[in-house]
Amino acid sequence: MEHHEALLSIVAFPVLIEMEVAIHATPPSAVLLLTLKEIEVHNYKEEFAKRNRSVNSWLAGSVGILSMAFGTGGAQAQTTYNLAGLADFTGPYADIMKDVTGCRRGVVEWWNAEVGKDLGVNLKVKDYDTRYDVAQVASLWPGAKSELNPVLVFGIGGPDAAALQERLPADKVPMIMATAGYGYGWKPNPWVFNARPTYPHEAAAFMEWFRTKRGGDAPLKLGIISSEASPAYVDIHKGMEKFAKDNPKILEVVETIYTEVQPTDLTSQVNRLIRKGAEVIQVQTNTAAVVAVRRALQSLGKNNIPIMMSAHNSLQASGKAIGGLAQMEGSYEAYGMAIPTEDKTTARAFFEKLRDKYKVSSGYNVACLMGLNQAIVAVRTIESAAKAVGPTKVTGEAVRTALLTVPITSEQSFGILPSLNFSNDAPFPTKGLTVNIGSVQGGKYVIVDQNVTVPILNKW
Amino acid sequence: MDPAGVFATSFAQDQALIRTSPQRLALVILVIAMLVLPLLVEPRIVAIATSMLITAVVVLGLQINTGLAGQINLGQAAFMGVGAYTTAILAAKLGWPIWAALPAGGVSAALFGFVFGMSAVRIKGFYLALTTIAAQILFHFLVLNLPSSWLSGSNGITVQPAEILNFKFDSDRSIYYLCLAVVAIMLFGAYGVARSRHGRAFLAVRDDDVASGMMGINVVRTKAVAFLLGAFYAGIGGGLWAYYVRFVAVDQFTLFQSIWFIAMVIVGGMGSITGALVGVFIIKLAQETISSAGTTIVEHVSFLSGDIVFAAMNIFLGAMIAGFLIFEPRGLMHRWNIMKRSYRLWPFPY
Repeated sequence: MEHHEALLSIVAFPVLIEMEVAIHATPPSAVLLLTLKEIEVHNYKEEFAKRNRSVNSWLAGSVGILSMAFGTGGAQAQTTYNLAGLADFTGPYADIMKDVTGCRRGVVEWWNAEVGKDLGVNLKVKDYDTRYDVAQVASLWPGAKSELNPVLVFGIGGPDAAALQERLPADKVPMIMATAGYGYGWKPNPWVFNARPTYPHEAAAFMEWFRTKRGGDAPLKLGIISSEASPAYVDIHKGMEKFAKDNPKILEVVETIYTEVQPTDLTSQVNRLIRKGAEVIQVQTNTAAVVAVRRALQSLGKNNIPIMMSAHNSLQASGKAIGGLAQMEGSYEAYGMAIPTEDKTTARAFFEKLRDKYKVSSGYNVACLMGLNQAIVAVRTIESAAKAVGPTKVTGEAVRTALLTVPITSEQSFGILPSLNFSNDAPFPTKGLTVNIGSVQGGKYVIVDQNVTVPILNKW
Repeated sequence: MDPAGVFATSFAQDQALIRTSPQRLALVILVIAMLVLPLLVEPRIVAIATSMLITAVVVLGLQINTGLAGQINLGQAAFMGVGAYTTAILAAKLGWPIWAALPAGGVSAALFGFVFGMSAVRIKGFYLALTTIAAQILFHFLVLNLPSSWLSGSNGITVQPAEILNFKFDSDRSIYYLCLAVVAIMLFGAYGVARSRHGRAFLAVRDDDVASGMMGINVVRTKAVAFLLGAFYAGIGGGLWAYYVRFVAVDQFTLFQSIWFIAMVIVGGMGSITGALVGVFIIKLAQETISSAGTTIVEHVSFLSGDIVFAAMNIFLGAMIAGFLIFEPRGLMHRWNIMKRSYRLWPFPY
């Protein structure tokens, strides 16, 4: 923690001393009173009247300059708190990490300048490369904790949660993840939080929306392409199967097919799903799988069957991989944060402000939004904590308490996220959740619906 | 190799691990250094040391299996995973204490390894390497597809801190000492294996299994025992890992990790128990130093962003390992032995 004390005197320049106490800056108004009193004493001596007028002018000038230099509202204490930023610069997600970390840093810089300054709080982020490896996270964390004494951690993915979920309650530091949640993390008393619900929550919202759009009473027939390469992938389709089992009138999973993690040709697998009547194919694994499914649909002449994907394998990313967004025509993405289209949304306006004023060099894409969403939750929560306990008394525990007690409205997140109400029951808000749905229509990336309600899912 | 003038006059002396006074002194200093380390250094170093100790147990097993017995094994991380899962299940679901759950993890991994040891009886070289990769895939498949009430599937297993006589190993220092104690036991065992009848059989089979068979060594049994022992060590390492991270999931034990274990054996020196420890130390130190250095560079050199620095650091790490393979493929212990030989013969090299 870094604190400063500024001592202001009438005749001296301000002296800044770095020490472990809060700032006690003498307000300019007090300086002015002291100055006038001294001037009065001098006025009693007529022989020095002329000189006093001169001193009066000099002091008044000094006070004026110092008042301007230190602001008219009184100098505001700045207590600096550290945030540990876990990042994957050399692992499987290295290609998007510049955007993720760049955008989350941009949010912190914006908050420091426009909110934290008045609140008396300054935030500082230090990034650590975890290689997306549990062992690396486990060995990095004790050092990061002792070095920074962070009040909050930015997490990127599963390894961060796996390595720290049992440690953070003891260390009293909450972690905010960039991704959606997972069923295996759905436990009470969390210290690891997701601003977005689980992937099955987001997918289930889309399925209900798509079924309504299709019309009719029959359940929507869903085919799932998944992989056993990661337990997270398995978790996603198990969540969907559970939702379908609990809601047979809404959804029917015709089959879940495991493929290689980087499939090249899925024609026979996709054909099998089509023969079983799949109306939508859900691919929430990775971009390679989306590309393979799309190629299979094209070769089978079934371009009318949409693929539903998530944020990390979004339309933008998959379109880029397949050779053009137009090839993703009619497919959808659904997730619980803003969709980075060209539309003039408040989220986009906020990003442009970060880009223009706070030198964020990232493009406006899903990776950037992942960074924005976790950072905005972090800064708004620290803001609530600082208001609740005071700007000099913010701790990890106070941040967690604020996260669980103070809602974050959609306005506060500039429309990046829906309004969030965290509780002690789950690492993500379980009520009032919504998702946004994007698609490619007429070759253009568009938002087709916003604030689509997420249905209630039972644990799987 | 003993210094000039030092020679054994009894079988006990010939079998002794510590053969000279300087060796004894060096060992005492090392033990004291290891014991006081957590009291003197910052938590980050303690965490790195703990990670090294756990990895050391796993790599010691690989050294027995691959370095001594010559059985290529690319499934050591899977054997570690079997040990971790067994320990976690016994501890979390059945409430077994660490002194029972940890060895049980080793035994279950040994049995899993034994299955692949049987395949080593008929095949060797690249074919054996492929078979051990199958161990990796099989482990993954079993965890995710067996009923989730057995191995918890994709959910993973949460483990409570290890506890012995009401003392909880829940701090960085305490878990370090736990790992240190286990490593000491396992290291002593590894030296014992290397000096034993089994160790000599391993070397013979590694150098020429046909000739070994003709000399009366039971080649089938020797190969199977090598896998059994190697996997047992991996299982114990996995158990320690479970108590360290306190959460076990299938994606923590990957083929990529197995390849790193092989790299540690190569860098340290194939066939040397001490080499396994040296390899772990060098590779882990390089990984951690690079990780820390990258963070420091990003913090102090404003025009370099994290993506450039960390990527460059990883290239440096890869180049370092490639350098070892090109310039000293027999490992650091080979270089050390050359130095010792020079010292022993000095000043009369011929």
